Amino acid sequence: MSTVPGQAIFRDVPEPRRVGLSQKVWNSRFDYLYVAPALIVMLIVIGYPIYYTIELSFFNTPASLALSAKQFNGLDNYVTILTSPVFWKVTWQTVLWTVLSTCFAFMIGLGAALALHREFAGRGVLRALLLIPWVVSAVAASYVWKWLYHSDFGAISAMLTQVGLIDKPINFVDNTNTSLYALIVVNVWKEFSFAMIMLMAGLQTVPDTLLRAAQVDGASPWQRFWHVTFPHLQGVSMVTLLLLAVQNFNSFIIPWIMTGGGPAGSSDIWITHIYQLAFGRQRWGVASAYAVILFLVMMVLGYFYVRALTKGDDARAGA
Amino acid sequence: MHTNTGRRLLGLSMAVLSAATMLTTATTASYAQSVDLSKWSPEYVKSIAGTKQFDAAKDCGAVVPNDYTGSVSYWYTGPFEADPQIAHDQDKAFWEAFKAAYPNITTEVQSITYNELLDKFRTSLLGNSAPAVIRLQILGGVEFAAKGYLQPLKPEDIGLTAADFWPGALKSVTYEGVTYGLPTNNETMALIWNAKVFKDAGLDPENPPATWDDVVAYSKTIHEKLGIPGYGLVAKQNAGNTPFRFMPQLWAYGGGALDEASAEPGYKDVWINNEGSKKALQAAYQMYAVDKSVPTSALTNTQGENQAPFIAGKLGMMIAHPAEYAKMNDLASKATGTDKTVADEVVANMRYGLIPTGPDGKRAVVFGGSNIHVVKPEFVQGGKVDEQAVKALICFWDSPEWSTKLAWVGSNPGNVNGFLTDAMKERLDTIKFLDVTTSMLPNGIPFPVIPQAPEIMNIIVPDMLQNALTGSMTVDQAVEDAATKVKAIVDGGGGI
Repeated sequence: MSTVPGQAIFRDVPEPRRVGLSQKVWNSRFDYLYVAPALIVMLIVIGYPIYYTIELSFFNTPASLALSAKQFNGLDNYVTILTSPVFWKVTWQTVLWTVLSTCFAFMIGLGAALALHREFAGRGVLRALLLIPWVVSAVAASYVWKWLYHSDFGAISAMLTQVGLIDKPINFVDNTNTSLYALIVVNVWKEFSFAMIMLMAGLQTVPDTLLRAAQVDGASPWQRFWHVTFPHLQGVSMVTLLLLAVQNFNSFIIPWIMTGGGPAGSSDIWITHIYQLAFGRQRWGVASAYAVILFLVMMVLGYFYVRALTKGDDARAGA
Repeated sequence: MHTNTGRRLLGLSMAVLSAATMLTTATTASYAQSVDLSKWSPEYVKSIAGTKQFDAAKDCGAVVPNDYTGSVSYWYTGPFEADPQIAHDQDKAFWEAFKAAYPNITTEVQSITYNELLDKFRTSLLGNSAPAVIRLQILGGVEFAAKGYLQPLKPEDIGLTAADFWPGALKSVTYEGVTYGLPTNNETMALIWNAKVFKDAGLDPENPPATWDDVVAYSKTIHEKLGIPGYGLVAKQNAGNTPFRFMPQLWAYGGGALDEASAEPGYKDVWINNEGSKKALQAAYQMYAVDKSVPTSALTNTQGENQAPFIAGKLGMMIAHPAEYAKMNDLASKATGTDKTVADEVVANMRYGLIPTGPDGKRAVVFGGSNIHVVKPEFVQGGKVDEQAVKALICFWDSPEWSTKLAWVGSNPGNVNGFLTDAMKERLDTIKFLDVTTSMLPNGIPFPVIPQAPEIMNIIVPDMLQNALTGSMTVDQAVEDAATKVKAIVDGGGGI
């Protein structure tokens, strides 16, 4: 058989046979085998608790009844939560806590990363020092900050009194107007190092040649940052912001240890409120419904996180 | 024929019943009425200590033969690292004595920390792997009794009578008319003050405030004269310390959460918004928001946070356990330099007094302690409960001798006959102020014996305090808000 010039060489090659799902599974059987242990463990320690929490969210669990005698009440728990002014107050506080903590931790982390990206004497030591908040145990940090803030004998107030800036201790955490913000400061202090590390890694990917070219073209430091550095940090920034947001939505240790959600509920956020409902008040059904709502919010955030993380994967796979 | 047989049977039954009654009487009468609770005072407590000898092995042998063969599993909060050596020694001695008295009973014992015990027990019940016997803090049992996990257990089951326990303590194990446990130890708190602070503030250093109104006035005086908090108010959310210190004030003014302070509580009537409760809350508000004579940090403080300022001489008064004196001694022994001088001075000036009364002379304190319970077989590991072995253990634990020794450091014997023992005399001789704290026992009121009590006491009461003290609500609004919540959860509902 000869080939006529101009005609496709493979015209007569038959189209590949469509492979069925079972065939695909069979072909990848060893892949499934390798991930099976992890999947089984996840099903037991994550899947079942999620299922049970969802199930429990449709039941009333009065303190006088064993959990096995729980009473089905449909969507009552969800209605109770969503119609309660306390829920909306706590939600607003959760939003404030998450947004302010995330934004400030990111901005301070970005500033620290940019500063530490430049060569200067003692950079290594400073890097190590700035990492301390992140590596310190949250429990230990909370107790230390509790004494720093203490409304009667706090170290911060004592220092300010000694230098003559104040004449009586500042009430940071025993005040309904300031407690949440005082906790946000602690949270930002604890988290900014994480943002710094992520962004420092991101800065390594900014091509030096581009920055030099921009400098040669007469771009100011701000223009170099805004038009060259920042666009290269967008991916890592998105991931960092989402991770911080997820972490902050789930924050428990700092608010619980420092104020327990008080005073008068002024520093309660979703997680502390759920914990109190479940373990302080034994109201498992309502707490479960509350947890399901939080779970849905986290799923949305998780979706965007995965999307940010896998952005460009398809293009790379196609190439 | 039938009549004769019937008579014979009746006669036989009567004889058996009489014998059983006599036997019961013989075993239960051994301790009853030995202690006259109506005469209770520091002097009476001292006068009866060391006046009677008991033999736990022999007494319990009358309930369960000493050669009985069996096994029992038991969970409790035993001594841990931070506890004094004597607590470890007594615990060890108990298990050795039990083994000597009942050599054929095998024990499977777990000591679990106070904070973990309830959650572990709840989990084990769901998995039918609970122990046969458990000792829980005073109101821990009601939740499980209500949920049907516990077996009825009354004093007569181990050869005792109701007269061998404080009435308030027995009330704390009685749910819907059935007794589900026995008190092992009971304690009440007292008012502690620093005599030097009182003197420096121009107050009588040897006499504490007699009423809660006096506490408000003393606290203000101390703060104005010395610039330090007068009274160690504690108002943290979700902390047991808060109701243990505020409820005595609430009761003294004639208030309550429900009607727990009444002679015959039914736990249905809501008292948290009555005039007495309002007055008590107003007094706390006066100290915190108006006079500012208590720690600003009261809203996030537990009693633990009062200890540092007290040992530093920066706090005038506080409500605390009998063991607080030992704690202050311990803190003083660890202090150095000028801190040591101050701490030693504070310990030397530490005084214990009765908790103040309300305006009408009513004195009240939270009845604290622990109770021992028996779990139903279907929730126990292996599905069986060896009743005789269980009775032997509980009888031994609650004997006058061991209920005293096992409560050596911070409590008192649940079996009131323990006050007659040599061990009690030794405690009174070696533990300073023990006579004062024990003399508060007749004023003890248990928290409502309903499964909702933890939520009412640990959540609603502190919330009410915080709402008023922070100005988020007025005193009237705070008590009404609390009353609405209490009513809702007692009725089986409740918001979030």
